[in-house]
Amino acid sequence: MTTLNSTRLKPTWTLAGNSLLILMALSVFLPFFWLSLGSFKTGAQLNNPALLLFKPTLENWKEVLRSGVLESAYRSATVGLVTVSLSVVIGSMGAYAISRYKTGGSSTRFGILAAQVLPPAVLVFPFLEVSYKFRLNDTLFAVIISHLSFVLPVITWFLIGFFDAAPKEVEEQALVDGLSRFQAFRKVVIPQVAPGIGAAAVFGFVLSWNDLFYALILAPGNSATLPVKIASFNTFRGVELGAMCAAILVAVIPVLIVSFFIQKRLVRGISGGAVKY
Amino acid sequence: MSFRLKLMLPLLAVFTASVGYPLLYAFYLSLTNYKITARYNTRLVGLKQYIATLQDPNYWNALQVTGTFVLLAVFIEFWLGLFIALALQKQKRIRNFTRSFLLTPMFVTPIAIGLMFRFLLNQQLGVIPTFMAKFGLSYDFFGPGKALYSIVLIDVWQWTPFMVLLLLAGLEGLSRSPFEAAKVDGASAFFTFRKITLPLLVPVISVAVLIRALDAMKVFEYVFAITRGGPAIQTMTIQYYTYQTGIQFYRLGLASAMSYLLLIIVMVIVVILFRRIESTRKNP
Repeated sequence: MTTLNSTRLKPTWTLAGNSLLILMALSVFLPFFWLSLGSFKTGAQLNNPALLLFKPTLENWKEVLRSGVLESAYRSATVGLVTVSLSVVIGSMGAYAISRYKTGGSSTRFGILAAQVLPPAVLVFPFLEVSYKFRLNDTLFAVIISHLSFVLPVITWFLIGFFDAAPKEVEEQALVDGLSRFQAFRKVVIPQVAPGIGAAAVFGFVLSWNDLFYALILAPGNSATLPVKIASFNTFRGVELGAMCAAILVAVIPVLIVSFFIQKRLVRGISGGAVKY
Repeated sequence: MSFRLKLMLPLLAVFTASVGYPLLYAFYLSLTNYKITARYNTRLVGLKQYIATLQDPNYWNALQVTGTFVLLAVFIEFWLGLFIALALQKQKRIRNFTRSFLLTPMFVTPIAIGLMFRFLLNQQLGVIPTFMAKFGLSYDFFGPGKALYSIVLIDVWQWTPFMVLLLLAGLEGLSRSPFEAAKVDGASAFFTFRKITLPLLVPVISVAVLIRALDAMKVFEYVFAITRGGPAIQTMTIQYYTYQTGIQFYRLGLASAMSYLLLIIVMVIVVILFRRIESTRKNP
């Protein structure tokens, strides 16, 4: 696994490295820890930030659940799942055509790469205007279309890399054995890159789940997704501060759990796709 | 219709609908005087919105704020990320756990991170200023002249893991032989790092820095959660200024012109850097 075990390090370097890692781990842990403490504090206790021992209250969590955070988390999940499913199906077919048949040459690849660079501010106003026209403003439909604009290129880009790396022989054998080209694609090629597809799908889902900009502009009201809902807790009136902590944690916890379980594969997917670019 | 075209067709259709069409429509909007509050008086005004943007001192301010933010944040993230990646690579025990743990910030929605730091750094209620006060230090993280640096700090907290991820992948992909040769020659760790590791890593570094810089240019959530562009216009980033113009002041035409100018700037930067990366690849 390690490529550099051969170079022996002086103990001081090792010590410096490990100290850095411990420091970084603390800087990741402490903010989340303080947020969790805050979510169990009453308004009065929150006025004393250094307070460590106190009688915890569940009021903040109850208030957050009453405010419809779970409903918006459900909407975010819906948007993410629809966007990712469409992107995986459409993207894998397109990526295969681009990888194997060099469709459109290098300009297709560049176009897909360039789409990831577009500032969201360019695309969002047309989305808003068109959704007004079709009376789709404040619906999840508008949000999904806008999320496709950045999830689809990313997933397609990852998959082009995976298809490039997949061996051709198995697929050619399948064609010799009498499968149609589409059957060979679906039954032979796709299983080969399935781990990659999984990583790309999770990454795309996280991108969609985390988006505030598009969702805030296209669906600020009744169809608010989780980030939009969290943003609405932005207040510094003491009483609501605890609820804000709890609301932030609602957004943080699922992602932390998911990222922890799939990270190893995800890391391989992201780095494999991105480093090769 | 050929097989490959059938495979491409859905991608082309969705891509056109969700990227191509809005891109053209934004250009059309940027040539009009469109306002959400006066939709029926919309007419073409040529390049008027572009001229207005170029003459707007706040637009130049926003470019400058965003530029400062990107340079500072990416600079710190790169060096910090590089050292963390090196330390992770040499780490012997509990490797997988440490890696997963250190990477978590980049998976959390930025608005939550923004609000979290607004809470932690708040002068009256935040835990960090409270502890600093115990040592007699008073520092208003979001005060004049300081807010932008605090936003940089938040970005560093959330996105250094991304640098770590790419640089670590790059480090582990390096071939062993130059390092073994260096060891045989008795080269010091520092010498090996400067003369072998860094040069070999240049392609990965350029990609990582480019991706991160382009992403940092889109900074919006931290500003939206904490400063709303203030104090005065010191944290008015380009993305937030465009949002304000289009959504809060209803001037979609003007905002589209602003974002199109930004797009042109971004594309010029990308093409220049892309060429440079390509040329270092060909003659390393």
